[in-house]
Amino acid sequence: MTLRPATVDEVREMVVEHAGRRVPLRIAARGTWLDAGRPVEGATRLDVSALSGVVEYTPGDLTLTARAGTPLGELTALTRANGQFLPLDPWGGDDGSLGATIATATAGPRAGGGSGGRGLPRDVVLGVEFVDGRGRVARGGGRVVKNVAGFDLVRMQTGAWGTLGVLTEVSVRLSALPERDETVALATGGDPASFDATLASLRERAWSAAACELVNGNLAKRLGVGDAPMALVRLAGNDAAVRAMRAIVSGLGDTRDVPASVWDALRRSDRGAQVVVRFSAPPASLGGVWRAAATLSHEQGDMHASVARGVVRCLLADVDADALHRVRRGLNAGYVFERLDATRWNDGHTAPAAPSGRLGTALLDAFDPARVLNRGIIHPGPA
Amino acid sequence: MVETSLVSRLTDIVGERHVRHRPAQLLVYESDGLPGYHKRPRLAVFPGTREELVAVVKALADAGEPFVPRGAGTGLSGGALADGVVLLGLNRLTRILEIDAANRLARVEPGVVNVALSRATAAVGLFYAPDPSSQAACTIGGNVAENAGGPHCLKYGVTLNHVLAATVVLPDGEIVSIGNAAHEQEGYDLLGAFVGSEGCFGVALDVTVRLLPMPPAVRTLLADFRTVLDAARATSAIVASGIVPAALEMMDGGTIRAVEASIYAAGYPVDAEAILLIEVDGLEDGLDVDANRVTELCLANGARTVRRAADQDERARLWQGRKKAFGAMGRISPHLVVQDAVIPRTRLPEVLATIQSIADRHRVHVCNVFHAGDGNLHPNIGYDANDPDERTRVHEAMHEMMHACVAVGGSVTGEHGVGLDKLEHMEGVFSADSLDAMCQLRSVFDPQRRSNPGKVVPVHSCREWRGAPGAHEAGAATAPLTHDTSVRAR
Repeated sequence: MTLRPATVDEVREMVVEHAGRRVPLRIAARGTWLDAGRPVEGATRLDVSALSGVVEYTPGDLTLTARAGTPLGELTALTRANGQFLPLDPWGGDDGSLGATIATATAGPRAGGGSGGRGLPRDVVLGVEFVDGRGRVARGGGRVVKNVAGFDLVRMQTGAWGTLGVLTEVSVRLSALPERDETVALATGGDPASFDATLASLRERAWSAAACELVNGNLAKRLGVGDAPMALVRLAGNDAAVRAMRAIVSGLGDTRDVPASVWDALRRSDRGAQVVVRFSAPPASLGGVWRAAATLSHEQGDMHASVARGVVRCLLADVDADALHRVRRGLNAGYVFERLDATRWNDGHTAPAAPSGRLGTALLDAFDPARVLNRGIIHPGPA
Repeated sequence: MVETSLVSRLTDIVGERHVRHRPAQLLVYESDGLPGYHKRPRLAVFPGTREELVAVVKALADAGEPFVPRGAGTGLSGGALADGVVLLGLNRLTRILEIDAANRLARVEPGVVNVALSRATAAVGLFYAPDPSSQAACTIGGNVAENAGGPHCLKYGVTLNHVLAATVVLPDGEIVSIGNAAHEQEGYDLLGAFVGSEGCFGVALDVTVRLLPMPPAVRTLLADFRTVLDAARATSAIVASGIVPAALEMMDGGTIRAVEASIYAAGYPVDAEAILLIEVDGLEDGLDVDANRVTELCLANGARTVRRAADQDERARLWQGRKKAFGAMGRISPHLVVQDAVIPRTRLPEVLATIQSIADRHRVHVCNVFHAGDGNLHPNIGYDANDPDERTRVHEAMHEMMHACVAVGGSVTGEHGVGLDKLEHMEGVFSADSLDAMCQLRSVFDPQRRSNPGKVVPVHSCREWRGAPGAHEAGAATAPLTHDTSVRAR
């Protein structure tokens, strides 16, 4: 069964009604990422795709407010026409909605680039409106780029996978399109020591690529950019700056230009993967995590990793639980499953953002006491 | 009235020297950076180690005592004021626990002074980006509590964007780890909720922050204008151009002249009605292109001159004038309200004009020194808090200025926090549902609402207030605070 609210008030009525009957709701908009996270059993689909469209966009402010169901592609087209872009590039591509991107906090290649600490969805989102499980219609943050008024409901909702509220509106910061935007592939082959040295050089130089993602040979082949491990480095800025960055990367090994379309292809490369598992470790340990993760699929799967963040993402046809535990034991790295066959979740695997401890439970009690919002999607919750 | 039992219990933990309870000892803790308020704590306790801090919080929990955490007391919204409750001073916890250059992070105790961290990491070519004007005194713990900003947050982001993890002692004494230095969110973003919670969610035992490589090259520009509106238009033009300066600060004529008459004189043109202090940084290559483009945009919008800092000394002097501007204004009047609001950046010219007309109407003297690139205004009013008539006029003018900022879609605080000062505006900005949701978020961390009671969200906005265990006592202790939001002196 699918409900299609046309207004925030209808969302509220439907949530309250389902909370009263304790019937779970599976929140969806574009429906592109429904195979991620744990399955939500016995749920009514709450399709918020009608809550779509830009609410406010003044290009000179470099901010934008849109309804949560707005497709990212629509925002990309709109902002590009004004020489700007939304610095959110979630895995799966631009077909998904703004709300789902914030709700899942899925962080694409740009999260590992840019200056300072502004790459994650939590850094880009300025404000949200949501309907929580108690039927409150609440707003956190606002539409301006700096804001500390009140407790931070915005970060609370970002990455909560809808379990603390149905997002209905989102405000984000935008960036200006750079004068030049070029991508080079840097070969990272060779022995582990030189591989690690290349990663360290990419990380340690006092410059910032717009993105820097390691891809393994299999994935490189599928993306049509080669068949050996490489770092895809996105160079953005004015002409002189990009030339200087190019010289830095060239100094680290063999490079060649690849088309910018490789980034969208990379974002969509998880399509068809039955299993997606993410490892994270301190960035300086990336080389070891990368090699260990490769053993999961006996070098047969697709892998990529953020050089700056140390997050490795494995796109696999299947995963062997023993191999996974072996990898996990040998490394001081955490891992979560983005995607897994519905029958496999009972093996004790962890979904992204799985809440633990008293505070996580207290948050659920405070914002969805009846556990109707995406019940069980990130944690095996009580009915 | 201080029960000797609480004093003796705390004395057992931290030693006699570090529990202050006599009125003369407490005088210094009656105020923070918000002028016109004097709130005397019941007693003040200063743990010297992590273990002592945990023991103190547990002792306060056992006794059901509300408390107010305090770092350096430089906050500008009254967040560190303790009205008849225990003040928990964190300024003895000053150790930098770890600097991990390879992973670009540092773990520090909450009392580490902001600038001390960047000094300690300079040797490995790294710095801590958030740089509030009070950075020579304010602490990382206080910065985390307030989600502090600063001039260079335009490019680099605020405290929230630079805190990776924290170990927190909750008000009930439980110790929790939140966030993850390994860049993968675990569970809900409790760390994001904690940063900026103004001391209401607990006390950080240690904080892990991101460090950034020092930019290889910097250009610092000083543009001077005949009118504030020209400078505002130049700011809007630079933001719209897509260049992201590291900092883009505005100071108006009144501020310029106050700075130039002080020991912080920076060489600003005293006949200008506004200056923009603009910094671009990054790789040497391409930096002049950006600096030239910024210069052109200033000149096209009415700048008389745009000059570049010739060397590091001149750059430091130009920044000192900006960062010490509030201090320089002390020469003009006995008290200074440093206000804080944010507006959409395209609205700068009109809102600055509105603020001036409000000031004229109420016969108060407003100076502007602020983070123009972020649209983060700091209209400052110098006054004498002991003059009741002037006090009233200042309060009314401030109130109207906040309304003007909210009316264009802005926020009543960008970096100073709500504290006590902005409580009266919260119901004008947020709906009852939103405030209730905020109350519940607080209750997740502090169900008894004992940590920094009466701050951030008006108590009467919390629907479930009466239902919370222990709420009655804490509420009674804080009731006077919530009704005392007027600017007034003792």
